[in-house]
Formats: sequence, structure tokens, C-alpha cells
Amino acid sequence: MSQIPAKTEEVVKKGKALGADEVIAKTTFGRYRQTRFSNNQIDISVAWNDYVTDVVLSWKKRVVATQIRNFQSVDERVKRLFELAKVSKENPQWGGVAKGKFRYQKSKADKSVENLENPAEYVLEAIEAARKEAGLNINAGGILFTRLEDVYQVSSEGPVGEDRRSAIELSIRAFSQREASGHGVECSSSLKNFDPVRAGRKAGETAKRARNPKAGTEGRYDVIFDPLFVGSLLGTWGSMTSAYAVMIQMSVFVNKLGQKVASDIVTLRDTPASYSMANRVFDDEGVPVKENVLISKGVLKTYLHNTSTAKIFKAETTANAGLVMPTPWNLELDAGNMSRDEMFREVKRGLYLTNTWYTRFQNYATGDFSTIPRDGIFLIEGGEIKQSWKDIRLSDNALKMLTNIAGITKERQHVHWWGEADPPSLSPYILMKDVQITRPK
Amino acid sequence: MDKDIADFTLEYAMSKKVDYAEVRAHRGDHQELVMKNGVLDAYISMVDSGFCVRILAEGGIGFASTNKWTKEEAKTIVDIAHKFAKMAKRKDKIAFAQEKSVKAEWKVPQKKKIEDVSPETRIETLVEVDKALTSQGINVAARMFSFGTSMTEKYFVNTEGSVISSYVPRIGAFGFITVVESGKPEQAYKQFGYSGGWEALDQWKLIEQMTHEAKVLQRVIKEAKAVKPEKMDLVCGSEVTGIAAHESCGHPMEADRILGREMSQAGRSFIYPKGPFWLRTRIGSSVVTIVDDPTVKNSYGYYEYDDEGIKARPRYLYKKGVINEFLHNRETAAKLGTRSNGASRAINYDREAIVRMANTFVQPGNMNEEEIFEDVKQGVYMRSFTEWNIDDKRFNQRYVGREAYWIEKSELKHPVARPVIETTTQIFWSAVDAVSKKVEYDAAGCGKGDPMQVAPVYTGGPLVRLREVYVK
Repeated sequence: MSQIPAKTEEVVKKGKALGADEVIAKTTFGRYRQTRFSNNQIDISVAWNDYVTDVVLSWKKRVVATQIRNFQSVDERVKRLFELAKVSKENPQWGGVAKGKFRYQKSKADKSVENLENPAEYVLEAIEAARKEAGLNINAGGILFTRLEDVYQVSSEGPVGEDRRSAIELSIRAFSQREASGHGVECSSSLKNFDPVRAGRKAGETAKRARNPKAGTEGRYDVIFDPLFVGSLLGTWGSMTSAYAVMIQMSVFVNKLGQKVASDIVTLRDTPASYSMANRVFDDEGVPVKENVLISKGVLKTYLHNTSTAKIFKAETTANAGLVMPTPWNLELDAGNMSRDEMFREVKRGLYLTNTWYTRFQNYATGDFSTIPRDGIFLIEGGEIKQSWKDIRLSDNALKMLTNIAGITKERQHVHWWGEADPPSLSPYILMKDVQITRPK
Repeated sequence: MDKDIADFTLEYAMSKKVDYAEVRAHRGDHQELVMKNGVLDAYISMVDSGFCVRILAEGGIGFASTNKWTKEEAKTIVDIAHKFAKMAKRKDKIAFAQEKSVKAEWKVPQKKKIEDVSPETRIETLVEVDKALTSQGINVAARMFSFGTSMTEKYFVNTEGSVISSYVPRIGAFGFITVVESGKPEQAYKQFGYSGGWEALDQWKLIEQMTHEAKVLQRVIKEAKAVKPEKMDLVCGSEVTGIAAHESCGHPMEADRILGREMSQAGRSFIYPKGPFWLRTRIGSSVVTIVDDPTVKNSYGYYEYDDEGIKARPRYLYKKGVINEFLHNRETAAKLGTRSNGASRAINYDREAIVRMANTFVQPGNMNEEEIFEDVKQGVYMRSFTEWNIDDKRFNQRYVGREAYWIEKSELKHPVARPVIETTTQIFWSAVDAVSKKVEYDAAGCGKGDPMQVAPVYTGGPLVRLREVYVK
């Protein structure tokens, strides 16, 4: 691995020598490990070692990209890439990449996630925790995933940086009956304070409470969303703040900068902080990452930008490159002032939804969509869980839901799950008014 | 791709105490263009190659992959996979269904070789679509297109003596447009896919299809009326029939889901041992037969051997309305006491092969399209869909119409604004009383697995007519 800095720099030098205007090369040596389990047993354990150099090159506003997976072929790959740029089409909106030298924070990544002595132990601990909550007949499945990436990035425009990024995630779904389940996750950038039992316990508790579900009833309800469900909602809203999403109208936030888009208690940030699974110290242009306030007290403050989209919108980069598409790293909904118990007491008749999947839009610009709650779906009456439900769908509007947030807890959890609660987030419980629930007929 | 390294990897794996091992190597040559609002954002060209080993030992499975083509790295990944397999310590040991070893070479021919198509021609293809969309007097306020080709070479060897080489060129495109009229936006997306050469473009008629979508959206904004929610007849176009076949037949018939292996991600199935639905249980009317067939020539999901080296064949999932045959790999087949039917697919060298669909469609019936509408007094023709989803047991689903028309006395009338059918798998397929003769396909990317593997598939079918279903 000692050759990585020199070889990465060589890619940039070659590109410049050929006549490129800008070249960025990012070499990642990734070690990824995953243990998958179902029916309380391990199905497969997987290891991926990946060595890749991502290269972006521009010439007269023609933008081309490639991946180099073998340093022996640098000359040939860069030459071919430059030839491609010469026949490609000008992108008049290309605003270049960040220029200058930057100082970066030191990575706080945890190298120990790479070689867990026995990952199976974490899995078995989580299953056991679920079993303690919901009984011997529990049937659990999930994953334990670790990621360690060493990144070396060089830009012809100045930025040079080194980063180490680490993550560990345990996701467990436990069934107490065929149609009664709960889901728990434990996510972190390091092994410190990583507790698989917490995830197992949450899955088991919810699965136990979800027993004997009844078919739900259509209507409009006040709804308490669990942090895992909130993670999915934040992913939807956060992705829509990408300037790219705005430009192609895959967003409810088109032409809404400076406008009220959410209730007063909503402040949404993006920050790849050191605790997060998405920890990093610079973006794909080499700009030091920072915390960005996307929505402040209900008002949309900024879109997420790289240098190029920032120029189009006459703004500054938010350090969220993606060279083509700016993306959120790690979303945070500011904590509110309620306890979880207080939030439940607020609900005379409503629902508590713990997780969701399969969110699909009929119109991103208007925000009309539906998603399917799963795992624990509970009817709340008089502030208490009275019944377990099944077979409902949340069919509403993403923008309207933001404005209907009526309560946020102090308690927050770092969550991520598969492609549903993604990107990772720091999510509280939220109380939302007047949410439309439908069901099959 | 270095086949010698792959062979060496297998030999090294065989020197360990393993019940089974396989090595799968991939080399992919990919080109992709992304265009937004007439501007080419980027042209991406890359070659990706690597190999993996999967080992069955002591009843557990270990898998490891790398893109570093050295013998040292090969030994490293075998050692890891072997250690991982033994680490499982399962009570019920995993076994693979017995299958014959195969020596084969196969490839998908191209009439017009993708390799011969210049970058300029590829770019011009998207430019022409964008120009056509913006020159027809419709305010197509936002356009996003991606267009890609991939040439994938694979090499598969296992400890049972199978040696399979393949070469598949694929071509795909995706378009997403927003039409705005009087301040009201409507949106559509369309996906295209093909295994074969550049001749795909002749079939796709990209300009015709995308401009049709723009016209439809404009008409929806200007003329569409909401439907009065009630029970009525519903005629589904091939796009809607296809997504319903994929979601509420293909997915629940994946044996790994049925056995619970996807329980924490995409979920389980309404079909399960000792449950209300199992093999030979009725799920739809007798005119409903749904097939998953990897052997449809030039289809997006085409293959001749799956990623466990099993010969591909059509699978009759629902046959005349009855649950007939699950989709299997060797692991699920062994668990359910049957043989694999070749449904094991991986999207790249760094992913395990899991049970997947290929091309899932409703088989044609015997009616002309006119006959399908002939008998409808009142109802909706849902030609295409926008929002769709289904619960994780694949029973409670919803499709929202994109292009849809009111039917009155057998005739198509005004457009209908986003009609919704939200129903169950059983109600949907049991309500079908007529199926037309002509099957059409749509390309899609089917998501499954953890990490996510998006597999190229076709969905499809003829027109199907549903009687007395609730539409809102």
C-alpha cells in the first residue's frame, strides 16, 4: 500500500501532462466484511478487498471519468480517458473543481473494525438479546457489516488529502410470530460503545409487542415515528436538497430557498461527523467537509452543492461533491424538547410506526408518495399502545408531512438500514399530525 | 481476466478441507453517459475485473473477493472464505442440491457491435432525444437521461468439474422527464434494456417513446379527471401487468425468501411451509400463467447458465392460476428436496449469487386487444404506472396509473388522473378474466440482497382485464 500516494499522484501528473485542465484521482483500499444471518443461524460470511482509483478529468469543459484497478495500466487508462474527453461534448455548466490547499481534521476512524476476532459473537449476542425479550420461539435475521477504507486523494487544483473511514453496523429483524416482527439497528464508526445487544433488545421488544396483529383501518392519524422510520424520511428529504435533484425536479424543494418548508421545530443538518458511519474529512473534490444547516426552524437555507452546482446557483460549495451529483453524507434532525413518554401522552388516538420500506413517488416535484410500514405498527389510544396492526400503507405528501411535524424528542439514535434508512442519520422520534393511512381493498 | 489465477484459486481451495468450492471471475467493460437538461454531465468509461471464491465447509458458507489478480491475493481470499465457512457453526448444515458438472462456452451475438460505436454516436443519441423532447411545443421543464453499455466476460469453475465461459453485451437507457403546464408538474420515467448489440436502438425507438411520454403528461395535466372511487373493471397494459407479475408473483416465489434468508431486508413471502399458500394452491384465475424465463432471446435478463453453472430454462411460477414452481438455487433446492432451476445470479464478482428473477411475464391468452375492451361497460385502462410498491410478504400492493383512460361502453374516453389500485395479490390475479395475445416487455433493474444487487430483468405481459376491482 505504500505505493498508493505516489501512484495516485502519477495519475494526476499524467493527465495534466496530456493537456487536461483538471484531474482528480482518489485511491481507495477498502476492506469490507459482512455476516448475514436468518432463522437464528449464520447463512454466509463475506469479505471484499477492493483496490480502486477513481479518476475525473476535464478538458475544455468536457468531463470524463474512469476507474483504475491496476496501477500497471495507469498510462494506458489515463491516455484513453483523455482521448475520450477530446471527443466528448462540452458541459457549459461545468464550474470546475475546488482550488487551493486545505487543512483537514485528523480522521478518528477505528482500524479495529477491520479484523473482528469473531463477528459471529456479535450476531449471536444480538439474537440472544432478542430472544430474552420475545421468548425462545424468536426467529431473527440480519447482518453485521464492517467497513474500513484508506483513501488518498489528489487534485491538480491543489487539494491533497489522506483519510481513513470506518464503520460498523448491526441490523436485526426478529419475528415473534409469522406477522409480528421488530427491527433494531446499531450503527457506529467505531467499536467503542458498539453494543449489538441494544439492537437485539429493540427488535425483540417490538416483535413481542407486535403479536397478534389486526388489519389496520384507513384514515388520518397522528403518528409517532420511531428513529428507524425517521431515518428513512430524513433520507428522502435530505436527498431532495441535492442541487442535482433540484435541477432535474426530483425534489419538492425546487424554487423554495428561503421559504418555509417545514414546521418551526424542524432544523435539519448534514454532517459526516466522526461518530457517523459516513465519517470522512473531505469530499470528492478535496474540500474539507463541514456541517451544513439545510432547514433552519422550518426555513430552507441551502441546497447541497459541489463547486459546479454552486456556481449555477450562485452559492458556495457545501463540500458534498460527488463530481456529478452532490449527496448528503449524514443527516441530523435537531433534538426537540419532549421525552418519548411525553410524546406518547400527546396522542389521544394515533399510530406508532417503527419501520418502513418500499418508498416510491408518483411525483417528486409535488411530493406525492407512499411507503409501507413494517415491523411494529401500533394503535395508540390515550397515550398508550392498545393494539398491534398490519397491512397498512402511508400514502401522503413529503412536503406536507414536513410541515405537520408537531413534536421531536430529546432522545436520538444513529441509524442506518439497507437502502431504506439511507444515508445514515441521527434521528429522534417525531410526532406528526394528520397522516393519511390507506389499506388494500 | 486471468483464467490461470482463477484456476489456481480453485486448486488452492481444493487443498483445504472443503465440501464444495467455486471461483467466479468477471471482467466488465462499461461506458455510461449522464445528461441533464440537454447538458452532458459526464462520460464514464471503465474496466472492472476481479474474482471471488465461495466455499462450503462444515455446513457453512464463506465468500471472499478481490480485484487484485495475484496468487498471493488468491490464497488470502481462499483462507478468509474457508475460515468464514467454518465460523458459521450451524445446527442445520447447508448442503447444495446435486447437479451435473457442465463444460460450456456461450455468448450473446451482436448484429451491430457495440465496440464499433463511437463515443460521439453515443452522445448524439441522447442529444437527439433531448432535442426532440424540447422541440414539440411542450414544456418539458426537466430531463435526465442515462445511457450505458457493458460487455461482461465471466469464467466459472467449481470443484465438481464445471467450467463455463460466457460473454454478454448489454445496453441500457433510462429517461426521467417533468412536464409543466400552468404551473402543474407531472413526471414520467422510462427504462430500456437489451442483451445484444447496438441494434437495440432500432427496437427501442427512444425518440418516439420519450416524446409519447411528454405528450401523455401534457394531456394528463390538461384533460385528466379523477376517478370516482368504486369497484369497476380495470384493463392493465403490459407495463402494469409486468410490474404486477414481477412484484406479486416473481418475488414471493423466490425460494430463499420463502425460507427466510431475506427476512431482514426484502422480507419473506406470503407463501411458506404449512401456510395457506403453497405449491398447488390456487392464487389466481385459470387464465393466469406467469413465467420467469431467462432464455428469451436478447432480453435484458438473458442467460444460458446461471452463476452456479446450472442450465437456464423457463420456470412456470403460477400456472393456470395455481402456484406451480419456485425459483431456486442449489441451496434452496436442497432444503426443499428438489433440483435447482437455474435462478442463481450475481451482478458482479464481489457479490454472492442469490435467487433472482430473469424475465417475468404473464403468458399470452387468446383475445385480440379489441375484445379485451369490448365487454367493459365502465372502467379504467391503466396503460402505464408511476408510483408502485408492495409489502414485504408480497401481498399488499399498489399501482398508480401514469397513462390511463376512462373506458365507457368499450371505448376509451378522457385521461384519468393518477388512478390507484391498492389490493392484494390474491384479489388482483383472481379478478383476471381475459388476457390478450400480444406480450410486450419493459426493462427494469430488480433490487435484492445485502449489499444491494440490481439485476437486469424484463417485466412484461399482454393486456389483462380485471373484473370488479376497487379503483380510486
